[in-house]
Amino acid sequence: MMTYIDYKDVVPKAVIGLVVLLILLVPIITTNESTLSILILSGIWAIAVMGFTLVLRTGQFSLGQAAFMAIGGYTSAILTAQMGWSFWPAFLLAGLVSGLAAFLVGMVVLRVGGIYFSIITLSLCEVIRIVAQQWESVTRGARGLITAQPNPIPLGFFEINFFSSTVPYFYLTVCLVAFTALVFWRIGESRLGRSFAGVALNPVLAEHQGMYLMKYRVIAFTVAGVFTGLAGSLYAHFLTVLTPTMLGLWQSIQILIMSIVGGIGSLVGGPIIGSILLYTFGSYLTRLDIYGIQQLLFGAVVVLVLLFLPKGTGLVDLWGRFWTKVIWREKEFEMDEAEE
Amino acid sequence: MPPAGIWIDGLIQSCAYMTMAFGMVLVFSILGILNWTHGQFYMLGAFVVYYAITAVGIPFPLGLLAAGVLVAGLSILVKKIIIDHITGDLYVGVATMGLIFFFEGAASMIFGMQDKGLARVLPGVVDLGSFSVSYQKIAVVSFTLVIMIILFIMLNFTRIGLAIRATAQQPDAASLYGVSVERLSLTVMGIGCGLAAMAGGIIAPLYTINPFIGGIPMIMSLLAIVIGGLGSLTGAIVGGLILGFLNSVVAYHLSYLSEVVLFMLVVIILLVRPQGLFGASVK
Repeated sequence: MMTYIDYKDVVPKAVIGLVVLLILLVPIITTNESTLSILILSGIWAIAVMGFTLVLRTGQFSLGQAAFMAIGGYTSAILTAQMGWSFWPAFLLAGLVSGLAAFLVGMVVLRVGGIYFSIITLSLCEVIRIVAQQWESVTRGARGLITAQPNPIPLGFFEINFFSSTVPYFYLTVCLVAFTALVFWRIGESRLGRSFAGVALNPVLAEHQGMYLMKYRVIAFTVAGVFTGLAGSLYAHFLTVLTPTMLGLWQSIQILIMSIVGGIGSLVGGPIIGSILLYTFGSYLTRLDIYGIQQLLFGAVVVLVLLFLPKGTGLVDLWGRFWTKVIWREKEFEMDEAEE
Repeated sequence: MPPAGIWIDGLIQSCAYMTMAFGMVLVFSILGILNWTHGQFYMLGAFVVYYAITAVGIPFPLGLLAAGVLVAGLSILVKKIIIDHITGDLYVGVATMGLIFFFEGAASMIFGMQDKGLARVLPGVVDLGSFSVSYQKIAVVSFTLVIMIILFIMLNFTRIGLAIRATAQQPDAASLYGVSVERLSLTVMGIGCGLAAMAGGIIAPLYTINPFIGGIPMIMSLLAIVIGGLGSLTGAIVGGLILGFLNSVVAYHLSYLSEVVLFMLVVIILLVRPQGLFGASVK
C-alpha cells in the first residue's frame, strides 16, 4: 500500500527555500509571457492536484475534480460577467460555492466507496459540463463566458494592474499555492491527516476504533472542493474566457495523472512537482509540429514513471533519492535511521 | 413512440457497447483491473478494418478478423510489457489511462487526424413497410449475436471457459487445480481487447473514423458494466442494452438533456444499488 515519507528530514530546508526564492524571482529574471503563463497554469493545476491527493489519501479515487474547478470557475465568471461583481468577492464566493457543492455531493456519494465513487464523480463531471454547455442564458453555452479582470489595486505610488501584464497573476497564484500548501501540510501533519490515512489503509479497523468514516471522507472532499473551486476561479479569470470543454473529464484524468506521477506520498510536494513538470512538459510538446506526438510522449512518460517509480512514489521520490544517494552517498534510505 | 429508425440506432449502439462491456468485464474478472484503454482498442480496430479494405483490399469479414487478431496481439504486448510490471490495481488503472494518450497520439501520427469514412461494405436495404434497414445494420446486430453466442458456449461448455469462471471466483484455488493463471490472463486480455476491436471494426462503415472515436464508447461501456454490476457478464450485456437505447431513444425526446438523464440515472442506480443491477453484494 501507500507509504508516507516525510522528506523534510531528507532534503535540507535551505534547498527548498532556495527553490521557493527562485520561483518568487522568476518575474524579475524573465518577463516572457509564455513562460509565466506556463508557471501560472501549472500552479493552478497544482492546487487542484493537491485537492485530488487529499481525497485520495482517504482512499477515494475522485474522477470529478475538474467539475469543482468548473463550478468555481463558472460561479465567479457568472458573478463578474453577468452580474457585475468585482473579482475578489466573486473569487471567494467561488471557493465557498464549490466547497458547498463538494459537501452536498460528498454527503450523498461518499456512502458508496471505491470504484463506484469514481464512476459517480465521473458522471457528475460530465453532467456539469453538459449543463454548462446547454444553459445558454446563464453560461452562454459553447461560446464561453468572457470573465472580467480584477480591478487595479492602488498601493500609494504603485499600482497592481492585472490588465497590463501577467506578473500580478503570477504572484496571486504563488500566494494561493502557498496558502493551499500550508493548509494541506498542516492537515497532513495533524491528527486529522493521520485519520485520513487510517481511514484509507484499513477502513474496518478505523471504524472499530470509533472513527466515523463518512466524517473524514466528507471533510477531505469538502476541503479539496473549496481549494479546487478557488483554482477554477483563478483559471477562468486568468484565461479570460471559460468554455464548457475546458473543464471536463479529460481534465479530471489529467489531474489524477499529475497526482500519481508526482507522487502521492506527500500531500504538497508530489502534486506541485507533478503538475509543474507534466504541465511544462505538455506545453512544450505542443510546440512540436508533428500532430499527435505530444499525446504520444505524454502517455509514454506517464507509463514510464509508473513503471520505474512504482507504487505512487512518483517523481517526488526522485528528489529524496537524489539527496540520499548522491549527496549523502548512502546505499539505501532507511526511515528509522533518518528519524534518529 | 419514437420512429423505428431511432430504435434501430439504439440497437446498433447497444451492440457496440455490449461487445465492449463484455470484454471489459472479462478482463476485470480475471486481471482485477479496469482497462481504460478499451476505447482506444475499439478505435484501432476500426482503423485496421478501414486500411484492410481500402489499402490492402481484403474482404470485410477477413478485415474484421484481422482487426481482432492484431489488436489482441497488441493488448497481450501491453499486458506483458506494462501491466505485469506495475503493482497495485490503482496504478495499473492510471497506466492504462496514460496509454489512452499514447494510443490516440500514435493513431493521429500514423493515420492522421481527419475524419475517414468507409463506404458501405454491404449495400442495399431491407424494406419493412414503413421503414427500411440497411444490410450493414443487420450485419452489426447479427454479428454481435453470433459473438455473444460463441462466448456463451465458450464460457459454459469448454475447458477454457471453466478455467475462466474458476479463476474469476478463486484465482488461488484455480491455480491449485492446474490452471495457469498467467497464461489465462493473457488469453483473456487478448479476447477482451479483440472484442473491443471487432466492435469498432463492425461498426466502422456506419460512422466516421478518427483517432478520437474511442472515448464515448469507452465511457458508455464503463457505465454499462458499473450499472450492470462489476464482474457480472449478464450485467454487462443488460447495461449495454440499457445505455444504447437510452442514448438514442431519450435523445429523440429530450435532445441534449438525454446525457444528463443518462448520467443521473447511473448515479441514482449506484446510490440505490451500489453493487449494480446484477452484481453480488459488496462486502
